[in-house]
Parts: sequence; structure tokens; C-alpha cells
Amino acid sequence: MEEPSETSDEELVARTQAGEARAFDELVVRFSPRLYGLVYNMTSNHEDTNDLLQEIFAKAYRSIKGFQGKSRFSTWMHTIAVNRAINFLKKRNRRMTMSLDDVDNGIANDPDFIEATSDHDPRHQANLGELQQKLNEAMMKLSHDHRAVVTMYDIQGLPHAEIAGILKISVGTVRSRLFYAHRQLQNYLQEFISQ
Amino acid sequence: MTPEENISKLLRLKRYEQPPPGYFDGFLREFQSRQRSDLLRLSLWEIVWDRISTIAPSFQVPRFAYASVAALALAASVFIIARPATKAPGNLAESRQSLTLTSPQPVMIGASLPVVMTSTGSPSVHYVLPTSPVSYASSRSF
Repeated sequence: MEEPSETSDEELVARTQAGEARAFDELVVRFSPRLYGLVYNMTSNHEDTNDLLQEIFAKAYRSIKGFQGKSRFSTWMHTIAVNRAINFLKKRNRRMTMSLDDVDNGIANDPDFIEATSDHDPRHQANLGELQQKLNEAMMKLSHDHRAVVTMYDIQGLPHAEIAGILKISVGTVRSRLFYAHRQLQNYLQEFISQ
Repeated sequence: MTPEENISKLLRLKRYEQPPPGYFDGFLREFQSRQRSDLLRLSLWEIVWDRISTIAPSFQVPRFAYASVAALALAASVFIIARPATKAPGNLAESRQSLTLTSPQPVMIGASLPVVMTSTGSPSVHYVLPTSPVSYASSRSF
């Protein structure tokens, strides 16, 4: 995979706005992994994520001349991605498919995974597949808005203020959605939570 | 560790769910080829609409535009409501009278068939239909 250069996002945006398509290609390379994570964790489906990601970048390319730099480019891209994913989820029937092959092997060495699946309680010993399935099921039970917030905060590690900017809501709303979503997830994932 | 922290810790494990190796290399190529094919497929109308929808969000609405439009609408409503009526009430009464059932003019129904008037001047409700009743229609056997 091509390594992203040191050029700033803003410079690449300006070059794209001036008509340099290659500059946008670099933005695609730079943003596709993190937007993949965002969309995948909202849809739980690789094929849907791929199609959506293509649409998201196509939309961004068409609209980039209207980007005035009032927010960071990454915020702008995330806003397009979240809106597109939520619109898609509203239309999609409840269908959940996932591939266990999608899980990076590094998870097996993660201390959090070992802790979650180890011998706290022999009755609840879980393997990688079971944990992933439970996590996905729990995520799918959240509303689209709550899932978006959980994905960005817990999985992607974005700060509250940035999530608020992406979703165009207040930081207080982000916090309350997170609180509510975590409470729901606690119920669904009770068996994996160490006491 | 609080349950909240435990949940966050579990959710962080989802970071390991990654696309197959080499996916992102192919992604850019797919994006470029889709872009090219989309451009070839777009009709002129779609290109124009796309341009408009791209530029539209950057339009700046003047600060007091909404208030000005609301004030204009209010002023127009007040003007329409407060405007004097074009006809005096007396004229209205006259025109109502001319439409009573005792009107000397025959009321035409259908193909110029008049309502039959009695000698006393009151109308007898007697309508003549231009077609023959259904019962007179010739029966058809099937």
C-alpha cells in the first residue's frame, strides 16, 4: 500500500480544488482505512462497507469545491461518511452477515481480549468468534445514532468535541448518547464484563 | 474498573476487524475506474444538477433574509384582510334574491329541458330526463 506523504490534508484539498485529481487519490489513500473502520462498525458487513466507501469518496470528490475549510477536512469527510451510512442503514433490512476472517490475528495477543475470554468464570469461556459475534450483535441492537457515537468514541477513539462537530450536535448530547448506549451494551455483554 | 470502562475496553477489540490484506490498494483502483465509468454514464442533466447541488451549500443567506420574508408575508396578509370589499352588502342581498326558486326564468336541466312551472307561479318539482328509463331498455340475453 502506498505510504501517505507528509503533505497536509488542507494542501491536498486545495490542489484537488484546483483540478489535480492525483491529490484526491492521496486523500483517498489517507482516509480510506479510518473511514472503513467507521462504516464497517456501523454496518457489520464488508461488501456494504466497500460500496458505501466508494460512494462516500465519490460524493466527497463531487462536493470538494464547496468545502470552504470552516471545519477540518477529516471532520467534513466523517460527516459525509456517517450521514451516508445512517441513510443506508435506514433503508437496509435487518440483515447481519460477517466473516470471522475479517478479524486481525493480533487480537489473540491483546490483553483485553485475553481478559474478556479467559478464565474469570469457566462457564463463560468464550472464543474469538463468539466474542466478535456478541459484540456485533450488541452493536446492531443500538439505534443508528447511538451506534455512530459508540463507533467513533470507543472504537475509533475520537474525542467528544470532534464527534459533536461531525454529527452537528452538542458535546452534552454526545455524552448522553454514549451513556445510554454503554448502559444498553452492558446488558447485552454482561457475560464478558469482568466484575 | 467500572462497567463503563469494561464496555469501552471490549469495544476497542473491534479495531481488529480489518478488511483482507491488500484491500486498500485495490480500493483506490476501484475508485478510479468507478469514477471514470460514472463520468461516461452521466447525462447532461445529471452533470448540471450535480454542479448545482455542489455549489448550493456554499450560498450565503443574508442575515435578516428570513425575518424580512416573514415581515413581508405578514404585511401582505394584513393588506389583503383589511382591504375594503368591492361590493356593498345591499348588492349581495339583491343578487341572492335573484337566485330564489320563485325566479320567473326556467331552470334548464340537461339538454335544454325547462322546469315545469305551475299557474300559481310556484315551481313544481318535475324534472324531465333526456333519456328513457332503464326498465325500457331492451333486454339482452347472454
